[in-house]
Amino acid sequence: MAVAVVLLSGAPFHGGCCRHKVFLSLLGPLLSNSKLYSSYRRPGAEPKKKLSWQNADFSFKKSIDHLKTQLSLLTKETQDYLQGPGGHPLSQHVLEQTRVLWQFRSQEDLNKWVISSDVEIGGKSKVYIKLGRNNQAALLYGTLNTEVPRDGETKYSGYCSMRSRPAVGSFNRKKYYDWSNFNSLYLRVRGDGRPWMVNIYTDPYFSHQKDDLYSYFMFTRGGPYWEEIKIPFSKFFFSSRGRVQDNQHPVWLDKASFLTLGLTIGDKVDGPFQLEIDFIGLLNDRAHREEFAYETYDKN
Amino acid sequence: FTASLLLGTTMTISSNHWVMAWAGLEINTLAILPMISKSHHPRAIEAATKYFLTQATASALLLFSSMINAWQTGQWDITQLTNPTSCLILTSAIAMKLGLVPFHFWFPEVLQGTSLTTGLLLSTLMKFPPITLLYMTSPSLNPTVLTFMAILSTALGGWMGLNQTQIRKILAFSSISHLGWMTIIISYNPKLTLLNFYLYALMTTATFLTLHSTKASKLSTLMTTWTKAPALNAALLLTLLSLAGLPPLTGFLPKWLIIQELTKQDMA
Repeated sequence: MAVAVVLLSGAPFHGGCCRHKVFLSLLGPLLSNSKLYSSYRRPGAEPKKKLSWQNADFSFKKSIDHLKTQLSLLTKETQDYLQGPGGHPLSQHVLEQTRVLWQFRSQEDLNKWVISSDVEIGGKSKVYIKLGRNNQAALLYGTLNTEVPRDGETKYSGYCSMRSRPAVGSFNRKKYYDWSNFNSLYLRVRGDGRPWMVNIYTDPYFSHQKDDLYSYFMFTRGGPYWEEIKIPFSKFFFSSRGRVQDNQHPVWLDKASFLTLGLTIGDKVDGPFQLEIDFIGLLNDRAHREEFAYETYDKN
Repeated sequence: FTASLLLGTTMTISSNHWVMAWAGLEINTLAILPMISKSHHPRAIEAATKYFLTQATASALLLFSSMINAWQTGQWDITQLTNPTSCLILTSAIAMKLGLVPFHFWFPEVLQGTSLTTGLLLSTLMKFPPITLLYMTSPSLNPTVLTFMAILSTALGGWMGLNQTQIRKILAFSSISHLGWMTIIISYNPKLTLLNFYLYALMTTATFLTLHSTKASKLSTLMTTWTKAPALNAALLLTLLSLAGLPPLTGFLPKWLIIQELTKQDMA
């Protein structure tokens, strides 16, 4: 009888406790720092250890210097705006057929790129980047190791990549470029015969499309001669979270905001790799008439 | 979807009750969304999402303003909007619907994400119901707020369209600019607003259809259309000059009449 009374008196307490647990489990994702929909972090992204407000620096002198830098950037942007689209006259925008986006001549050019490998997921590949001979090219080199990390979750490993940093304007605003005049990517490289994957990430506005990527392959020769590889944008196929999608569509280049280019090696072969890159640019190949290389499905 | 668009437009322009007008606007919004996202490209989906969010917010504000007016005055008649708070909220709702400054940021992005024919519908047919509501409530609205928004729209529409290379964005900014002209005169002579709108719709339709037939969506493509269709290119030149408001062409007429009316009101 006493036990029953204790149990009965404890029932609302337990019920409240259960309700409290259910409430917490529902609100758990909101209360924690991790993303609501996935904990997947893209290669090249640094692991977030500190919250953004914890990184705030309240030094007055630094903030004044930062403000001066941003105002000078804003002044330059205004002057470029007065000149024409992209800081160039309109005639140049309409008539240009080639444009060099990245070339590797100094450490500053190297700082515009971020290298990463499967070390983020516990792998053992190594990747380094440095300036080549006579500061005429960038040398991306390292060792690929396909040994799978023993964490019980990962099934595959062995990738290294190099991604360009997104361009930001004054006050950390996104910079928009119009690459619609061009239809091909032009790379002057000297590889070691290993195949690479070229990825284009167009930073979408909404978070549902943050995992979208446009990719194509770059096959290098191992010879001592430089290669000039042209990859038409019509060849890039669409994938999301690493899975090639059934609904394919061409990459739109009219709003190249945060459009970052990446080179990834992941050909499942252990061993060293090397890639020298002279420059990466855009080309308007008039002979290339293809709009899109893959079949698009009409819905409705 | 086209039939739904026509239904929604007809419902709004022929209604006397705020709820009917709101229902017509909602039908319009819902009907145009599949047309914007028809190509299923991520940019088209982005444009559709942006359009839905802004238009839904504007519709909610519109309903809110009519409810405040109904609570204060006891009636739902569109032409009897007398409560000042309602008028202010309605002004912001209509500005959001139309794409007037400072609620214009969605318009160029949405137009850029859609095809030219859907862009035509967004620039002409979808503007008609909100302009009708503005026309019906114009005696009650605050002229200062309308003038402020109109001047900003005209100025920003012109300046922001300067360095654009995509034609749809240029036409979006042109639309914002023309809406500024329509809005500035609505408190003094609403019929000039309607005249401006009809002529703008005619010129924009001609422009969009010409660009659609020549498949020109950027400036560099437009530079070479004269080789493919010289007569059409010449007609497009005249239509664009008319949109700009050059004197001997039709587009100058509404601007002239608006400036004349503003001069009479000691504003020009």
